[in-house]
Amino acid sequence: MRPGRQLAVLAGIFVVLYLLVFFSSGASGGWKDRLEPRLGLDLVGGTRLTLEATNTLDGRAPTADNLERARQIIESRVNAYGVAEAEVVTEGDRNIVISLPGENRDINEVGSAAELRFRKVLKIADGSGTIPAPAPTESPEATPSGSASPEATPSGSVSPTPDADANSSPTPGGQGGGAPTPTPSESPAATPSPEATEEVTQSIEEQRRAVEQKVGAEAWAAASGLQAPADLSADPSLADRLKPFADLDGREVAVLPAQMQFNVPTIGCPQLDDRPPASISDPEQQAVACEGGYAKNLLDVAKVLGTDVSDANAVRDETSQWVVSLNFTSSGQDKWTALTREAFNNEGQACDASALGDEGKCRVAVVLDNEIISSPQIQGVLTGNSQITGNFSNAEASELAGYLSYGALPVTFEAQEQQNVTATLGASHLRAGLLAAGIGMLLVVIYSFFYYRLLGSVIFLSLVLSALLLFGALVFLGRQIGFTLTLAGIAGIIVSLGVAADSFVIYFERLKDEIREGRSPRSAVPRAWIRARRTIISANAITILSALVLYIVSVGTVKGFAFALGLATVLDLLVVFLFRHPIMTLFARTPAFLSPRVSGLGRVLPARSEQAAPPRKQRVKEA
Amino acid sequence: MAETGLAARLYKGEAGLNIVGRRKTWFTVAALLVLIALGSIIFRGFSLGIEFAGGNSFQVPTSVGSLEQVEDRAREVLTSAGDGAQVVTTQQVGGGGGEFYELRTTQLDAEQAEAVRLELGQVFGIDPAEIASNRVSEAWGSQVTNRALLGLLVFLALVTVYLVLRFEWQMAAAAIFSLVSNLALTAGIYSIVGFEVTPSTIIGFLTILGFALYDVVVVFDKVQENTRGITANNNQTYGDAANLAVNQSLMRSINTSVVALLPVGGILFIGAGLLGAGTLKDLGLVLFVGMAMAFVTSIMLATPLLVVLKNRDPRIQAHNKRVLARRGAGSRNEALAAKAGAAPAAEPEQEEEPVTAEAGALAAAAPKVGARPSGKRSGGARGGRPGGGGGNRPGGAKRR
Repeated sequence: MRPGRQLAVLAGIFVVLYLLVFFSSGASGGWKDRLEPRLGLDLVGGTRLTLEATNTLDGRAPTADNLERARQIIESRVNAYGVAEAEVVTEGDRNIVISLPGENRDINEVGSAAELRFRKVLKIADGSGTIPAPAPTESPEATPSGSASPEATPSGSVSPTPDADANSSPTPGGQGGGAPTPTPSESPAATPSPEATEEVTQSIEEQRRAVEQKVGAEAWAAASGLQAPADLSADPSLADRLKPFADLDGREVAVLPAQMQFNVPTIGCPQLDDRPPASISDPEQQAVACEGGYAKNLLDVAKVLGTDVSDANAVRDETSQWVVSLNFTSSGQDKWTALTREAFNNEGQACDASALGDEGKCRVAVVLDNEIISSPQIQGVLTGNSQITGNFSNAEASELAGYLSYGALPVTFEAQEQQNVTATLGASHLRAGLLAAGIGMLLVVIYSFFYYRLLGSVIFLSLVLSALLLFGALVFLGRQIGFTLTLAGIAGIIVSLGVAADSFVIYFERLKDEIREGRSPRSAVPRAWIRARRTIISANAITILSALVLYIVSVGTVKGFAFALGLATVLDLLVVFLFRHPIMTLFARTPAFLSPRVSGLGRVLPARSEQAAPPRKQRVKEA
Repeated sequence: MAETGLAARLYKGEAGLNIVGRRKTWFTVAALLVLIALGSIIFRGFSLGIEFAGGNSFQVPTSVGSLEQVEDRAREVLTSAGDGAQVVTTQQVGGGGGEFYELRTTQLDAEQAEAVRLELGQVFGIDPAEIASNRVSEAWGSQVTNRALLGLLVFLALVTVYLVLRFEWQMAAAAIFSLVSNLALTAGIYSIVGFEVTPSTIIGFLTILGFALYDVVVVFDKVQENTRGITANNNQTYGDAANLAVNQSLMRSINTSVVALLPVGGILFIGAGLLGAGTLKDLGLVLFVGMAMAFVTSIMLATPLLVVLKNRDPRIQAHNKRVLARRGAGSRNEALAAKAGAAPAAEPEQEEEPVTAEAGALAAAAPKVGARPSGKRSGGARGGRPGGGGGNRPGGAKRR
């Protein structure tokens, strides 16, 4: 009865596993889609970047908290690419691994240092980036009416002609076509930080010129002529001229002067948020940033830096509201006090009426990377610890506090390994991996049939069962915990084939021993099982232990390998206990098993007739 | 009848190879080899892959032209976009999904690498997205290695605890020692032959750990079984019992090793033969070498070492003395010994005298009559079948 029960348990596990595979949350699509394991990007193509974080202060590994915060920041940068299934994980004590499956692109910039800045909000404009309704309908033939930039050229000129001289269209407010880059009077702004400039081969001037060519001289001139956010509904033709700006990507927008970024309505928040990291990190420059993805803010120079923050925590105030308390370093406190005074009294670079908070005070934006994460209104000159209040939930307050303390996070990243795998190369890896698995399995099966004859079929069936269980587990785990199968993982599975087959060898050799000692197969099976079980468990325990240690300690592809090896070994144990043993018990009851011709074990039987049964062995056993 | 071939005796676990007795030979050979390995590691070092030196690689589909053309063009591109970087190697790899040329270059920074990729695409007239690229900084390899070494230490510590709990400290020590020699020898082979060491190699290297111990555990399990309560009996020294265990589990060891090596062979075949380079080949190679070494060290080193350690145990020492004394007496009166059914001659002789096939088989046959009754045990209801009983059944099926 017992073998039946064990087989039933195994069947139960099977059913449950495959029910999970097909119907657990996250399963979607057709039957075939639900059977897809998550493949690593060396198998499907994609980009992987491993960044090593180091503490700039002492060169050691950052703390787990810092690393996690850095990961979140990098994740938000990566998400800006809009790649489905992009994955950013920490690995070990200092690595952050970014995977973009199916995408082949240069993502080194996500590793540039994130900078936290406190900047006074000067002006606010609509950041939707869409042209107001009237403009597109009327624009082409509409004559310029009362605008600041009377235009001689017909509508056709809005097309982004790269050649500036072709449209001889001097604009009133600006420089002649093809003239040197217009330098806005206010501030050049938006210069990438030193970190960024190192990597950028072209100078900012060259890049700006390139963008000028792209949008066309006319549009450029129109944009440089703007002194305030252009009101497109009042001047539809302007919208037409500024239209080329809507086609710029984040990188191109980043090189524009801050005033232009702010004033040109066709530059919207999506583009601004897409600017390369650290585009506006220079504290000496004014900058433009969005909050919440819709409001463009023109920001003053950064008077308080992230490094001035010593600590930020989410706490409850006396009315048990969640607030973020903010502490500064001693020098930072002075700067913060000065900044809050300036904002509270609206001194210095005056903030525009549009930028005032509901109590009529200026706001100070907390800018991380290219986005404003919070812009509290300053309610007084803050000389001590400050609080940011709002209708925060616990999670929101914690998140904000996390970002704020990130400012004090002295972590830099270095790209350690970048892999760009094309889809074809990935497919070839996958095929090779599967082929290797197939060959490995075939060899093992051939060997076991050769050596154990009919019992080889037990091995074969067990391997098939293991494979099915493993496949189900891979699909399920891929969905639930995001385990991705890489080439190294496939190698781990192949290696585990050896482990699985080994446990058979141990069992069958035991069985042979028992039969050689004169037992009938029927009585030998349970005895051999009891003895082999111990060995199998110890041996597999060691394999699992090594896989576990590897998984925990190692970095890179080792993890996938170790996980697959460990998982396969655990499943093998399951199959050993719930399939092989009961099936052998059943086998032992059938007459066929007794026939030495079919069962490889029969070969040992003659030994006894040869008088060669080793007495020493028996003695040993009884001893 | 007794003169069966070595294979058959192996199959039956009666090879009678004197492994424990010749331990001095094995130790000497092993010490020598380990010394050579260490010497090579120290003086020759390893040939490290780009992951350790830092560098870039690009994979270009072979559709763009011949290898020479690609190499020449790549040189030009590197001069213009790569700031004087050099092509280190070019080779054709691939299989399955298509063929690729792999170009390895000295280190480029991220922008240069991207520029080179774009320009390669332009030069060959293909979409740059079809060119795969890798970039590794020189620190990456050492990070992987450091973590691997850490893993090695943690694993050794844990496994020692496990072995001490599961077996005994002597076995744990012997197992760990043979494991370490195994690693040293494998590393030595890498150093001497000059196989490339990559992070994948290191992964494989760590996996050998599990396998090397797997073999050792199988043998030690048998040793433990054979020597349980050995001191209650005066027939066998510890070394005899251990040697017997090695012989009995030899076929098992061979089988487990072969079976474990087969899939790895598959990896190696595909990795080296089809893909040409990369994870699979590196893994397959190191596993293959390491597991082959593991087979040898687990038999030749682990058990003999265990015997050496155990023989220092006073209880075992006394026991061995007793057995030898008794055996000495027995040899003076052979008839007596045979009658007593002790069959000491069946065991491979201590130290010098390996038992020849005939001697072993004859000796085994001799005490048969006396041994049978004592071979009965309660557990085997049918096990007590008289010696000739089984003869009629499988007679026609010998060794098929």
